[in-house]
Amino acid sequence: MIMGEIQVDAENKKYEPKIAAFLCNWCSYAGADLAGVGRVQYPATIRTIRVPCSGRINPLYVLKAMANGADGVLVSGCHPGDCHYISGNYVARRKFALIKSLLSHVGLEEDRVNFSWVSAAEGIRFAEVVKGVTERVSALGPNNGIFKVDDGGAADE
Amino acid sequence: MNNIINEIREKARQLLAEGKVDVVIGYEKGSLPLKATPCFVHSPEGVDSLIWDETCENNLAAYAAKTPGKKAIITKGCDSRALAVLLQENQLVRDDLFIIGVSCSGVIDQRNILAEVGEILEAKISDGKISVKGMEGDKEYLFAEVKDATCQTCRYPNPVMEDLHIGETIEVAQDAPAFADVVALEEKSASDRQDYFKEQMSKCIRCYACRNACPLCYCQECFVDCNSPRWLTGGVNRAENLFFQAGRVLHLAGRCVDCGACTRACPQGVDIRALNRKMTKDVYVMYNHEAGIGEEGKPALNEYTTNDPEQFLVKE
Amino acid sequence: MSQNKIGSVLIVGAGIAGIQAALDLAESGYLVHLVEESSAIGGTMPMLDKTFPTNDCSMCILSPKLVECGRHLNVRTYTNSQVVKTEGEAGNFKVTIKQKARYIDLEKCTGCGACAEACPVKVDDEFNQGLGKRKAAFKQYSQAFPNAYGIDEKNCLYQSRGKAKGKEICMKCVKACQAGAIDHHMEDKEFEVEVGSMILNPGFKIFDASSLDYYGYGKIKSVITSLEFERLLSASGPFDGHLVRPFDKKEPQRIAWIQCVGSRNAKIGNNYCSGVCCMYAIKEAVIAKEHSHIPVDTTIFYMDMRTPGKDFEKYYNNAKNQQGVNFIRSRVYEVTEATDDSGDAVIRYSTEDGQILSDQFDLVVLSVGLEPGDSSKELAKLLDLQVNKYGFAELEPLSGVNTSKEGIFAAGAFSGPRDIPETVMQASAAAGAASALLAEERGTLVSEKEYPPEMDVAGDVIRTGVFICHCGVNIGSVVNVPSVVEYAKTLPTVAYATDKIYACSQDAQASIKALISEQKLNRIVVSSCSPRTHEPLFQETLKEAGLNAHLFDMANIRDQCSWVHMNEPEKATEKAKDLTKLAIVRASMQQQTQPIFMDMNHAALVIGGGVAGMTSALSLADQGYEVHLVEKESALGGVARRFSTGFRGEDMKAFVAGLIEKVSNHSNVKLHVGVGIKDVGGFLGNFTTTLENGEQIAHGVALLTIGGQEYKPNEYLYGQDERVMTQIEMDEALYNHDAKVENAKNFVFIQCVGSRTEENPYCSRTCCTKSVKLALKVKKKNPGANVFVLYRDMRTYSYFEEDYEEARRIGIIFVRYSENAKPVVNKEGDTIVVTVTDHVLDRPLEIETDVLCLAAAIKAPADGKKLSKWFKIPLNADGFFLEAHMKLRPVDFSTDGVFMAGIAHSPKNMEEVIAQAKAAAGRAGVALSKDQVESAGLNAFVNKRKCTACGTCEAVCSAKAITVDKENRVAVVNDALCKGCGACASSCRCGALSLRGCTNEQIVEMLNSL
Repeated sequence: MIMGEIQVDAENKKYEPKIAAFLCNWCSYAGADLAGVGRVQYPATIRTIRVPCSGRINPLYVLKAMANGADGVLVSGCHPGDCHYISGNYVARRKFALIKSLLSHVGLEEDRVNFSWVSAAEGIRFAEVVKGVTERVSALGPNNGIFKVDDGGAADE
Repeated sequence: MNNIINEIREKARQLLAEGKVDVVIGYEKGSLPLKATPCFVHSPEGVDSLIWDETCENNLAAYAAKTPGKKAIITKGCDSRALAVLLQENQLVRDDLFIIGVSCSGVIDQRNILAEVGEILEAKISDGKISVKGMEGDKEYLFAEVKDATCQTCRYPNPVMEDLHIGETIEVAQDAPAFADVVALEEKSASDRQDYFKEQMSKCIRCYACRNACPLCYCQECFVDCNSPRWLTGGVNRAENLFFQAGRVLHLAGRCVDCGACTRACPQGVDIRALNRKMTKDVYVMYNHEAGIGEEGKPALNEYTTNDPEQFLVKE
Repeated sequence: MSQNKIGSVLIVGAGIAGIQAALDLAESGYLVHLVEESSAIGGTMPMLDKTFPTNDCSMCILSPKLVECGRHLNVRTYTNSQVVKTEGEAGNFKVTIKQKARYIDLEKCTGCGACAEACPVKVDDEFNQGLGKRKAAFKQYSQAFPNAYGIDEKNCLYQSRGKAKGKEICMKCVKACQAGAIDHHMEDKEFEVEVGSMILNPGFKIFDASSLDYYGYGKIKSVITSLEFERLLSASGPFDGHLVRPFDKKEPQRIAWIQCVGSRNAKIGNNYCSGVCCMYAIKEAVIAKEHSHIPVDTTIFYMDMRTPGKDFEKYYNNAKNQQGVNFIRSRVYEVTEATDDSGDAVIRYSTEDGQILSDQFDLVVLSVGLEPGDSSKELAKLLDLQVNKYGFAELEPLSGVNTSKEGIFAAGAFSGPRDIPETVMQASAAAGAASALLAEERGTLVSEKEYPPEMDVAGDVIRTGVFICHCGVNIGSVVNVPSVVEYAKTLPTVAYATDKIYACSQDAQASIKALISEQKLNRIVVSSCSPRTHEPLFQETLKEAGLNAHLFDMANIRDQCSWVHMNEPEKATEKAKDLTKLAIVRASMQQQTQPIFMDMNHAALVIGGGVAGMTSALSLADQGYEVHLVEKESALGGVARRFSTGFRGEDMKAFVAGLIEKVSNHSNVKLHVGVGIKDVGGFLGNFTTTLENGEQIAHGVALLTIGGQEYKPNEYLYGQDERVMTQIEMDEALYNHDAKVENAKNFVFIQCVGSRTEENPYCSRTCCTKSVKLALKVKKKNPGANVFVLYRDMRTYSYFEEDYEEARRIGIIFVRYSENAKPVVNKEGDTIVVTVTDHVLDRPLEIETDVLCLAAAIKAPADGKKLSKWFKIPLNADGFFLEAHMKLRPVDFSTDGVFMAGIAHSPKNMEEVIAQAKAAAGRAGVALSKDQVESAGLNAFVNKRKCTACGTCEAVCSAKAITVDKENRVAVVNDALCKGCGACASSCRCGALSLRGCTNEQIVEMLNSL
């Protein structure tokens, strides 16, 4: 078997994470397109939600994705300075830093929620980012995080 | 203290008598021992019910915007910071406010007392000592022993803005804020922290006392109550409670003035401050920003610099 | 000038200049014929990795323009085409265009790339500077427009071998193409277009470094050109952005740049500075350091570091001081191959103090200069335009963009080396000039599409139609398309689902249209390729079927699914289902959204009556718009009134007087001289400005051309001795035959007085040239005079290098001083003595002088702050106006409807001021040409009930489109200004703000359906 692949056992179906990916229209979504044009292969784990700008990402979206049981979240926007709307990603950057920090503080696994900047020219890098996120989310296993609503919430106490 | 309250009453009387304000927002003795309650004095005759002591734990800024007309507010350091944020956010008009500043050496956190003596039947404060008669016994405390955690590291005991100052100011070493409590949690393992917050969140009954006590939670409709979209499914359980609390602190990030009102208001003893303090630390460390330390200034998330830190980016 | 004018313009060359000019003209009511020699538009910019001084990704900032230009109804793009004949005169030209056969039908090609995959011929890829391979069936680069392949007939097996013999050789592409787009029998064609004006921007070519054998290019593998280095850095380049040496894939640890390769070289007849190489070399060095996984040493070998553009000096300082790029002032003798078999190159050079040294590098990058391309020269010849000795087009003095022929304008490197913002400025300026020439014909040839009336479907039961595309085999060979269709049928709101071989084909569009009416579909979802390229096409179909264009969404199951999960068909199918579901959810919640129209006031306000202001005003007035020109001083003309001659010897006094006369007599210009501004309010289309005299002016746009100020030195005895003077004062003294200068024998010029200092870190750009011009004037008048120029770097960019060279030739002495050893000026008795340490001799020189001329800095205008507040526009750290984008929007502010030109933007010479002023007028003209201010409608909107007026939205909105109405305690979106980014909506805690097409409800519902 290939190194790093998750063990498949007879009873458990192989775990394939589902990752909600918020991509800004002008850079990261274009970068993802470019990965396609270059036929750069990456795991089929992300489910893309196209937004105009990373500045559109409401912090509650990330919480909601976790609550709904997404195994991971990827948010990607233009590199600082490249924003089509001039400063959307700068405004977003402070939010992202705080979301990431808070979630890790309450004990959500570090790798569930991921932020990156991917430009329209970085097709390969986009694929790399997805690969990396997928590997790390896979290693964590399914989202049984403290936000997931249908795990019974308080039932495990 | 006595001099202070006399001066407060005198000023309140004068402001009301001269018609400079329609109402004075202050504290009066509460129905429970060791808990003052906010009061609204509309006439000079009413000022004698005003009190000022270590039980004045509410953040009166929470009432400022909801109270129509011109108002005078008895204002501690943290209250003034909340007023500053409210002014920055168009929730108040400076000309409608008369800020009676009082330096505050801290307020009492009842939780430790309750744990030791049970329900408090009677209490007396004198000379920095608090004598308590409880259901399960009596005890005398030094004020320092029962001072609220947030007051212990307070850097703004004096109002950051005021129209009048009553009493002495309190000197405080104005060096960088201390975040030992946050660091202590940060140093724990992720799973320990997760356990801690799971425990805290399973206590929450979503009564929203925290939200009501908070001077900066003034949305017409909180996201938890919103029907379209429905952020929460409606159940009260540990996961949704965390969604609420996490969403709330993200909304307070860069605005929270660390007054501790939310935690003191919580009937379940949820450590809400642990979340707010983390955000306060991050905002301070990353953006060198403290909320409401002056009338000018903006909440931290309303601005940015081109070189804000980016440690949150995905590792590659 | 023809009396029979035509409302269309020919643009030759579709690089960034051509694209900008085409968009400006098409947007302001002219039909554009855009002729491009290669198979795609874009020019050189797509080849660049990052752009200075902001390190923006070149492709990222360009590609929206490519798409916009490519799709514009009134831009007709002819690729593989050349102009072969022209006749006629300004206002009415007949132009013959020859279009070479592409062998692939643009109408049919879907850009899927099957032909290239099948093509067996591999050749060097020109786009990658020969560092990679492409096929004979190829597309220049992945984001290219047209998004279609072409066949290179020289290399195609059938075209080169089979066709002549009538043999069906190869034909693999024909078999591979499911769209039937390949036509090997396509023929070249010639056709004629009629235009009123021409804009020429055929670009440049880079200097052929192999012609100077001492650099070793072409012989030593580790010597490459700067453009090759750009491709190495580019993430989409031949090595996917891994910084490696092309020949052995080694990661270089020591990289050197050699400046002025093919520039500033009188021996080879290139006695001009290419202007861009210093900055691009610094950028490449900085990016190389950022880019590489291992620490990289970077060294730049240079003569003078020329970073005179806006924010360039800061970039240079940062590279030097923070990034650790080494800068060595030197002359390079030769580059040889290292003898240790490492493949390295050795640079032998002499330093300023005469030492001869050698250094070995893993990679040597030649900073090659810019030259006119062969097609530029041919074009100039064909049109009988005047060219200079280098072959660049000669522009009319102080015109910015006029060639020697009326009605024919130039932009970009056609008339000399230029960087991107200068090129874009000239493009907008040329567009403005063409627009002014053809003003009466505006709107006569453009077409507007007619649509059937829109059905109102609000409140109807939602019936979604879903179309899943196979894209030939591109999707279908990986994703199980029929199973996605079956799945879609099971989803809520879906009334109809089917598959299409090519959803974008003509017949598929017709079928979608028919189904909308047969099946009463009121939402459409297409799962195919990228919405970035194809959304407008499908939205067009919706509109043609009478459905609001926004009742639509796309799932990208090709670029982001089948192409990237080729070996996992099952997972790809699952993903395609999910993506389709997300699109259905979003579409089902889309609302009919109408574009928003607001009134447009067609008058312009120009603030500042200097050369920039008057030029802008005239251009706008000639375009047919009413212009109010406000000047607070008592006379028009600005600082230019004090100049005697321009940089090409023009009579400035006469020029300024001429401008004043023209604005004073132009019927469309209303002058407000001697009065300042009291207040400004409003936004694009609807500004009101109140003058100090109480007069109110209503206007739709504003141009801020308030100039700058000369620094008043407090060093070098200035103000204490009248023989110490600034450049402007010396110019005046010479003009007035002042005895101080008239009788002087000894002249000293000190450069960088108040520039490039700690307090004023920027370079004032014009002073080196100005000092050289003044020095030449006195030296030529009195050849016996002793003339010294004390400088830090001589920044005589572009053709001003000729003056610098001449100055040295006729005996003007240039002495370099360093930043931390500035000259010292003392008075010994009545004699002014200048002491400076000479770097060549390494000892102090004492010069007695009769005239000391200080190159005083150009400072930002004092009124910048006021205007900044009134118009909500930003200033940079030095107090100059900050444009919306340093590269591509050099005269626009981020606030719509406000434009800038001249010194207030950054220091520049008169010719550049004029070009920028015309550009600002061109851009302003685009805005004014609209009947109404239109916004697509996907804007932010406010739920008044929830809003608490906290002002967070206002704080985060970069477009300044939201303000809090404090009286009613509610945020108000200005639809004219909103760009639809949604930063406000995500910052709104109260949930009062949302964004049309991307509401919180939609996103949450999408997350719920995951």
